[in-house]
Amino acid sequence: MATKISWVVDEVKDNVATILSNDVKKGMTIPVTVLGEDLQIEVSSDIPYGHKVAIKPIKVGDIVYKYGLSIGRATADIAVGEHTHIQNIEPLRGRGDLAAKEKGCAC
Amino acid sequence: MLMGKWYGYYRPDGQVGSRNYLLVLSATIYANSVVERVANTIEGAVPITHHLGRCQTMSDLKMTFKTLCNLAKNPNVGAVLIVDHFKEAYCNIDEMTEEIAKSGKPVESVNIREVGGAIEATAVATRKAMNLRRMLSTMKREEADVSQFLFGLNCGTSDTTSGISSNQALGFCSDRFIREGGRSILAEFPELMGAEEWLTAKAKNSEVAKKIMDEIGAFEARIFATGEDIRGSQPTGDNIAGGISTIEEKSLGGAKKSGSAPIIDVVKHADIITNKEPGVYLMATPGHGAESITGIAASGAQVLVFSTGGGHTISNPLMPTIKITGNFNSWRQMNDTVDLDVSGILAGEISLEEAGDMIYNEVVETLSGKLTKCEILKETTGFAIHRVGLSI
Repeated sequence: MATKISWVVDEVKDNVATILSNDVKKGMTIPVTVLGEDLQIEVSSDIPYGHKVAIKPIKVGDIVYKYGLSIGRATADIAVGEHTHIQNIEPLRGRGDLAAKEKGCAC
Repeated sequence: MLMGKWYGYYRPDGQVGSRNYLLVLSATIYANSVVERVANTIEGAVPITHHLGRCQTMSDLKMTFKTLCNLAKNPNVGAVLIVDHFKEAYCNIDEMTEEIAKSGKPVESVNIREVGGAIEATAVATRKAMNLRRMLSTMKREEADVSQFLFGLNCGTSDTTSGISSNQALGFCSDRFIREGGRSILAEFPELMGAEEWLTAKAKNSEVAKKIMDEIGAFEARIFATGEDIRGSQPTGDNIAGGISTIEEKSLGGAKKSGSAPIIDVVKHADIITNKEPGVYLMATPGHGAESITGIAASGAQVLVFSTGGGHTISNPLMPTIKITGNFNSWRQMNDTVDLDVSGILAGEISLEEAGDMIYNEVVETLSGKLTKCEILKETTGFAIHRVGLSI
């Protein structure tokens, strides 16, 4: 096995890949292996080690999948190659703020 | 080293310890300084001090009492010396001595007021500690089996390497111990929110699956009751810097530590796990690392592996805490307190199974006496008592 630049956990369902390099910079094209196929993905910003990149187009409100399961919801449209992190995904669990809103509480 | 064998200290209740500590224990905050003076004087003594034990709601006071007593019952503790300053409900020398002595191990105590103040108490307690320590020094390690091992699993300062490498390797390691007759504990319940589907599929039966859902739901309800957004607290700042975006992503990665073995039961925070059936046990602790591993130490676990993508200093004072990382940057930057490098997984150099075997070997050696880096450095950041209510 050679060192991979990116890692997709569930190659069928996931719409993000994890970056495993300290050197992924804006405009670079990186290989992402999905089901035996090498996708060439152009990244639209610098992406730090361990952060995620979208490998499929994700619409606002869509579920973001990693490990084949939901890791939250897109808060904006996310294009292929875009850094996918807290600026464009939100969690759906443990949201006391949403629970308070539903109750109409003024806290 | 024989596969599946290790060498530990047999206790009167049949448990086997990986260490032979003399525990010097504060019953309440106002015994802390005497406890520190005694432990500083006595070779091999481990102090446990804290800021609790009084003016707590009854549910919290009972939590403090249970946590301290069950820590003292951990088989890594050979003998216990308790100090208190006057008299509290539950957290006093009489009730704690009675509870801890049920394990059969020697328990001594000193009340600061009764013996005439802090200086006298230091002298009396130091002499008692010396005699206990001398008695413990005659004990020898004897052969033990993996079936006598309760394995603690935890993670912290997680990043995205944790879920895809070190936690999965730890899952392979846990599976191997369980195949050989051992038991593991997975905890950190708020950090299982979002991983219910994956976990309940491994539950021994539908009753256990329901307990998993109920206990995770109970933590989520406590978060809802705050009316606050969990973001910024979970995932933590270091998780976010490491690429984890949401609690669900953290949970799915964190749950991987428990491997593929069946989940046998769900227990409350800091409960002793008495069931001997091999498999995974879930403990409903918070995600706070020091509180979580303290709950696991109270359950009777003799060694814990702490998987940390970003690197960590955490170490429980009574339960050797082996730290592993799958992130080569962290292995370099946090090498002083991280024991094992499994970054070869993501470099394509080793398989998850091979990394699991590396962890297994490190655990068996540590059970038999090999010191972790944090034990040598006397890092004891991994102790905190979980609180459920307010100070009153």
